[in-house]
Amino acid sequence: MLTVKLRRAPREDARAPLALPLPDAAAVPAALRAAAEAAGFTGAAGQAVLLPERAVILIGTGAARRALDWEEAGGAAAAAAGEARRFVIDARGLAPADAAALAAGACLRAWRFTRYRAEPQPGPRRLDLLVDDPEAVAPLWDRAAAGVRGCLLARDLAMEPGNALTTRAFAARLEALAEHGIAVDVLGRKRLAREGMGGLLAVGGGSENPPRLAVLRWRGSVAAAPVVFVGKGICFDTGGISIKGAAGMEAMKADMAGAAACVGAMLALALRRSPAPAIAVLALAENAVGAQSYRPGDVLRMGSGRTVEVIDTDAEGRLVLADALHYAQRFKPQAVLDLATLTGAIVTALGAHRAGLFGTDAGLLAQAQAAGEAVGERLWPMPIGARHREDLASAIADLKQCASGQRQPDACHAAAFLREFAGPAPWAHLDIAGVDDRAEATALGPRGPSGFGARLLDALVAMYFEH
Amino acid sequence: MIDIAFVKPALPRHGALVLPIGEGTEALTGLAQAIDAATGSAVQRALTAAGFKGRKGQSCTIWAPALADGAAGPARVVAIGLGKEVTAEAAEAAGGALYGLIQVEREAVVAAEALPPPVAAALGMGLLLRSYRFDRYRTKEKEEDKPKLERLCIATDAASAAKAAWAPLRAVADGVFLTRDLVTEPPNILNPPEMAERCRALESLGLTVEIMGPKELKKLGMGAILGVAQGSVQEPRMVVMQWNGASKGKKGAAQRPVAFIGKGVTFDTGGISIKPAAGMEDMKWDMAGAGAVIGLMAALAGRKAKVDAVGLVGLVENMPSGSAQRPGDVVTTASGQTVEVINTDAEGRLVLADVLHYCQTRFAPRFMVDLATLTGAIIIALGHEHAGLFSNDDELAGRIMAAGKAVGEACWRMPLGEAYDKQIKSEIADMKNVGGRPGGSISAAQFIQRFVDTKAGPMPWAHLDIAGTAWSGKDLPTAPKGATAFGVRLLDRLVAEHYEG
Repeated sequence: MLTVKLRRAPREDARAPLALPLPDAAAVPAALRAAAEAAGFTGAAGQAVLLPERAVILIGTGAARRALDWEEAGGAAAAAAGEARRFVIDARGLAPADAAALAAGACLRAWRFTRYRAEPQPGPRRLDLLVDDPEAVAPLWDRAAAGVRGCLLARDLAMEPGNALTTRAFAARLEALAEHGIAVDVLGRKRLAREGMGGLLAVGGGSENPPRLAVLRWRGSVAAAPVVFVGKGICFDTGGISIKGAAGMEAMKADMAGAAACVGAMLALALRRSPAPAIAVLALAENAVGAQSYRPGDVLRMGSGRTVEVIDTDAEGRLVLADALHYAQRFKPQAVLDLATLTGAIVTALGAHRAGLFGTDAGLLAQAQAAGEAVGERLWPMPIGARHREDLASAIADLKQCASGQRQPDACHAAAFLREFAGPAPWAHLDIAGVDDRAEATALGPRGPSGFGARLLDALVAMYFEH
Repeated sequence: MIDIAFVKPALPRHGALVLPIGEGTEALTGLAQAIDAATGSAVQRALTAAGFKGRKGQSCTIWAPALADGAAGPARVVAIGLGKEVTAEAAEAAGGALYGLIQVEREAVVAAEALPPPVAAALGMGLLLRSYRFDRYRTKEKEEDKPKLERLCIATDAASAAKAAWAPLRAVADGVFLTRDLVTEPPNILNPPEMAERCRALESLGLTVEIMGPKELKKLGMGAILGVAQGSVQEPRMVVMQWNGASKGKKGAAQRPVAFIGKGVTFDTGGISIKPAAGMEDMKWDMAGAGAVIGLMAALAGRKAKVDAVGLVGLVENMPSGSAQRPGDVVTTASGQTVEVINTDAEGRLVLADVLHYCQTRFAPRFMVDLATLTGAIIIALGHEHAGLFSNDDELAGRIMAAGKAVGEACWRMPLGEAYDKQIKSEIADMKNVGGRPGGSISAAQFIQRFVDTKAGPMPWAHLDIAGTAWSGKDLPTAPKGATAFGVRLLDRLVAEHYEG
């Protein structure tokens, strides 16, 4: 993440590009007006014009109102800073919260993943945020930075290759979160067996890397039932015996993006000392092809005691989530939200611009949607119809894991399946396949993993669960 | 079609006697009580023994109960559950379920004295809709294998009120049956000219029908619809149906018609981007959107709806041939916008583009609703229970959702937006006709929206992607397996609720 310094004035030796957030052309300083006009700068949101000879970036903020608008302006500044190591955003004259949002957006946009690069990568590392009153901005920036750090952690995890972020390595990364006050409990095979988690054990059975159920707990400071996040953490998904086609399979290293988002959200809550108690239950497994792989036709007995007929071993996410959702019930949650890169069908349905939102509780669904709008992680409600559940009737078990055949509404089927394990608390399911990775840079991130969900969950808690 | 009559209660001497019973009904009344008394309480005993409680979906058949006085009685008595709340919807579903239980009798009497007249009529509607059958091409079916039911007598003390409730339903049922016939017809019979002729037949209901062929379409600059049609020996048609039922003297917006537009690809091979062989026979119903519009216009005219409505359908056959349109072709639509044809199997939106533009230009309607079996993606998105609803107008969308819910033709709102619109950017033309797999139904809707002109002011528009709901692979409560006529009842209800009088 960018190192952000809050300053009252630019450094003396300032050579770093200076970004000026401006609502319209009239706000451009007189000295720059001719150049700005020539470059077609109008101040419209999303505009970023670099005047290289002056080392000035004109950032259009338009009629920015929401934090998200300011974040996107900050992102545009970071993108326009190019290869400079340090850049400056002049937020003097702006409200402290808007200044903090500018910095947050810049950090999100400037994120890079360099662990496996031998050479240092060009691009911003430091941001000087010029503000009128650093003391007033600092607490707001800390709060905004918590959400940013959570999102970037989710991206880092999703970016890690399958050979590095194995189930064990993932669990080890989680244990390191103890330093932030998050209690971590990792269940290995023995305890999973004792819990009867036939879904998670079956999916993880084909791999040398054993399945894990990781439980992160943030106590918060108010006596309330926790919000529980449940994440799908398939560290690599070959599809198993129902193996995927080779083309594009490398993307399956990110089939743990749901779990990563939950982890990011927990980190954000801890960093900003959220008063709300929260728990993340993460189902970690590698869906591999092996002698111990589960098969189509297998019948699994799940943690809840219900039996499931396996139709397609590549529909593994719902199996591990089912066990995790069941496990979550022991915490008597006031709400449960699960996140998963679950189905290709949701990509066909909603594309790359919205995640699918399913659930049982209109209130929670509306809250999740509102939180998503606030942070630019947009959701769209999708149905679980009676027919979707009927389609899962099995001839041998309590239910089938998915319907067989082409052209199935598989995202709805998956949601209908999960509902059977979700318990009585209000429940929402976010199918984030399609939005977990960006094919092109956006205002708030380069191409690659988006961290979708981490900021959404953090905002959800902040908006609805801290009072 | 089964004759539905409303009669004074009297015990039948033959056929079936139907007892619709709500859950928690304490004692039998009316004809139900009469048959129970006549059989020495055999009916009540049978219901108790069978555990019949009047629950939704429950039924119990008593075969030829002996009458105490030795007189002739009904060949069967069928009790059917209405559930806890005796609503029109519940009665309709019960009527649908009833059909299979009594269709071997020629006549049936329904003991509907306890039902409010609209509920009694709804029961008849459910049965009638469920009884649909298309046997035009069966030449060797044995008489005994055919359903027998000819007449359903609904016994009620309020016969005239029930008849009044029934009349519009009957017209709507006619519309539904017309649509189902069109959708079921094989593609060698129902080609574009033939389908247009079937529209012409609706003149007898008081509709004005205009049929346009290639010459007129060319004159209108409809390069998109002509491009789709050019691979087939069958000429394309555009049909404009008008129903002027509004009382004269209306001013302003109320004077403008409501408009319905349907995709009518009478057979869709996919063209040069040809479809795989498996299941291609289903592509005979790629005209179900147009079929629904035609049935809807028949329904509105049949029940003399107090509304001005126009129905426009674009009829083409999409075939591969030496003259067929190619991927890469650029066509100019009637609106002047150009389209790069990437996939010739995304032809429905091309047809709709020209027809929507024509509709808006000529009629300046109050709203436009288009129906189309448009994308496979909507089946993957929603399945078969909901049609995809896309709209630029929340009020119209809300009304469509509510109307659909009321008649059992459910819709689910899907998103639109600039991000999706970008998916159909073309390198050579104003747009391309496919936007890739992700959000495939949405980018299709975005394409259509580009032909809804809002520059001069709002133009409420809704698009119903009915690819998953126009045809059912299994029996539904009020439709046998096959063509459902999805959209006819929904849009009829929409008009009735908001745009009449």
